[in-house]
Amino acid sequence: MVLVARNLSKHYTMGASVVRALDDVSLTVAEGEFVGLLGTSGSGKSTLLNLIAGLDQATAGELLVFGDDLAKMSSETLSRHRQKNVGIIFQSFNLISTMTAAENVALSMMFAGVPRAERERSASDLLTAVGLGGRQTHRPKELSGGEQQRVAIARALSNTPRLLLADEPTGNLDSRTSKEIMALLKDLNERDGKTVIMVTHDADLAKRYAHRIITMLDGKVLSEVTA
Amino acid sequence: MIISDTLRLALGNVRQSKLRTFLTTMGVSIGIASLAGMVSLGVGLQDQFVGRFMQAGVFDAITVSSGNNGGLPALLGGRGRGRGRAGRGGRAGNPPVEGAAPETARPEPPALDEAAMTAIKGLPNVKDVFPNIRVPLQMHLGEFEELGTAMGVPMSAKDEGAFRTMSAGAFFANDTDDSCLLSLDMAKRINETDPKSLVGRTLTLSYTASTATPGAPAPTPMPTMPGMPNLGALLQMKRVDRTYRIAGVVEREPGAGLGGFGFANVMIPLSKAMEIDGQVVRSAQALLTEAPTKTKTYTSVTVKVTKAQFTEDVEDKIKGLGFQAFSINDALQGAKRAFIILDLVLSLIGSIALAVSSLGIMNTMVMSILERTREIGVMKAIGASDSDIRRIFLVEASAIGVLGGVAGIILGWVVGRAINFGANIYIVRQGGEAGNLFSLPWWLIAGALAFSWLVSLVAGSYPANRAAKLNPIQALRHD
Repeated sequence: MVLVARNLSKHYTMGASVVRALDDVSLTVAEGEFVGLLGTSGSGKSTLLNLIAGLDQATAGELLVFGDDLAKMSSETLSRHRQKNVGIIFQSFNLISTMTAAENVALSMMFAGVPRAERERSASDLLTAVGLGGRQTHRPKELSGGEQQRVAIARALSNTPRLLLADEPTGNLDSRTSKEIMALLKDLNERDGKTVIMVTHDADLAKRYAHRIITMLDGKVLSEVTA
Repeated sequence: MIISDTLRLALGNVRQSKLRTFLTTMGVSIGIASLAGMVSLGVGLQDQFVGRFMQAGVFDAITVSSGNNGGLPALLGGRGRGRGRAGRGGRAGNPPVEGAAPETARPEPPALDEAAMTAIKGLPNVKDVFPNIRVPLQMHLGEFEELGTAMGVPMSAKDEGAFRTMSAGAFFANDTDDSCLLSLDMAKRINETDPKSLVGRTLTLSYTASTATPGAPAPTPMPTMPGMPNLGALLQMKRVDRTYRIAGVVEREPGAGLGGFGFANVMIPLSKAMEIDGQVVRSAQALLTEAPTKTKTYTSVTVKVTKAQFTEDVEDKIKGLGFQAFSINDALQGAKRAFIILDLVLSLIGSIALAVSSLGIMNTMVMSILERTREIGVMKAIGASDSDIRRIFLVEASAIGVLGGVAGIILGWVVGRAINFGANIYIVRQGGEAGNLFSLPWWLIAGALAFSWLVSLVAGSYPANRAAKLNPIQALRHD
């Protein structure tokens, strides 16, 4: 199993009230799956994704990713988990504006301690693989939304993680570009065997690409549908 | 994360905001310049002060006097060198308290004679040993007449500061040369308008000798001799006149009052002084009590060491031989302490600007982190650890600090030079001697750089920690 969540909860305190962003969620994801996390805003789908990414820690329950319990990890180990185990793709791309496409891709390898020459070569290969071979030295501002998201995908792949986490990856893109990005993710899933967990509020998108759709509401799993 | 990558990333950030980095760096450089300038002033003043003593050649000199505890025996017995002892104040007569106890306990302190001088000369790092001889004389040159003291100067003193740069003329040709050197004060008393013109003229030195000494000219009774109790003694005295060519005029008094030199307006070769010393009658009392042929002993001798740093060591060894020893280093301890306080006060004043500039670093770093909150979130999301982030920002702060340090040292040096230039114009106009008021030794440069780095690390640590502890999810939501 890539992922096993048992009775996972995440509570926030907002003033006097407690917000149950994630309430007693249990689920599993197998290797090579393409999972769609569907739900409206505030349903807890992004919170779940952040927990899997190791950006946040659960209040209660167990969350095993590749067999390791994230709840028990120190912040240093969590950073290594984000580096090696998962690749994150954001709705707003989150590229560093002062760096070129290649530098953005190489950045996470830098944190992983990959030597300069190796990561430059690797970044170039990855950019070519996502269809941006000629755009290595362009800065994010000089790239279209779709191109930026490709750079972000290349970056997510840079330390060869087995699990890709995508948070509304097409949320900021037009429909044609969205299709291209989704095709790229589908390709990574099918051809390279990457496990993909994609958060979306678009039911059609989820239906079209995901093997399994987990619908969430108010921090709980509402339904699980296998396509 | 590899260190070189941390550097690359941090320096890239610094380059990204050039104006802000420049302004903050300027702030640091002003701080460092003021601190380095102040310390440099302290060091420079100390160098000036110590250098003057160095030039006078007294750092490497030790004055040795007999272990005899002063008091009555010294006053009445021996050769009765009352004049010489008075010249050096109470030092020879009043040894340090800690030295006094064992000295008095010893029954017979060693005599300060030729044998003792040979023994001292045999000590390691001793360059030269010579007796301090001062003789009371009457001096004539045309209309000019004065009672004064002549001092014996060894040939080895030729290379010392006071004699190296003479106001006029030159040093003695040899140890038996019938020539003398005048202090500038003395020369001005003889010839107010042109003291340098005295070089080459003849000075007559007169003294009263005992007739027991052979080879002296016919006796002439001294009318000015005070308190003569015995007519017989008076009959045994005669006046001796000697002529000395004035070889040169010494501008600065050599080793003002310490280390054997000083308090003499006329300097003659040492062997000449010793010859006169053997004949001269200082007082009627001395004449009465003196045993005519005794082993020659000295009230004090000067010991020159090869290097100033050996002074203390040699001084201890001489004390071990049973003599009293004193060097300028003893007196300088107090001055050194005063300079430490001066340095502290100056660096405290200099630190104020640096303290302000460290707040500037902190402010710049806080701003930089605020601006790049989202970027920090992204870096964390793709695998940067807390310590990676902390290090990046510490390096960034360090870069500002070290750049500021380098600029500050240059700025401090330039400003110091400028002030020095201006001050020297004033000093020279006031009749002083131009010198370096600011000194920038390598340790000050290294220290200033290290300090600016340290300050930047301290100032950067709070912002860097704040960046490291940022919650990535909140940071990613930040615009």
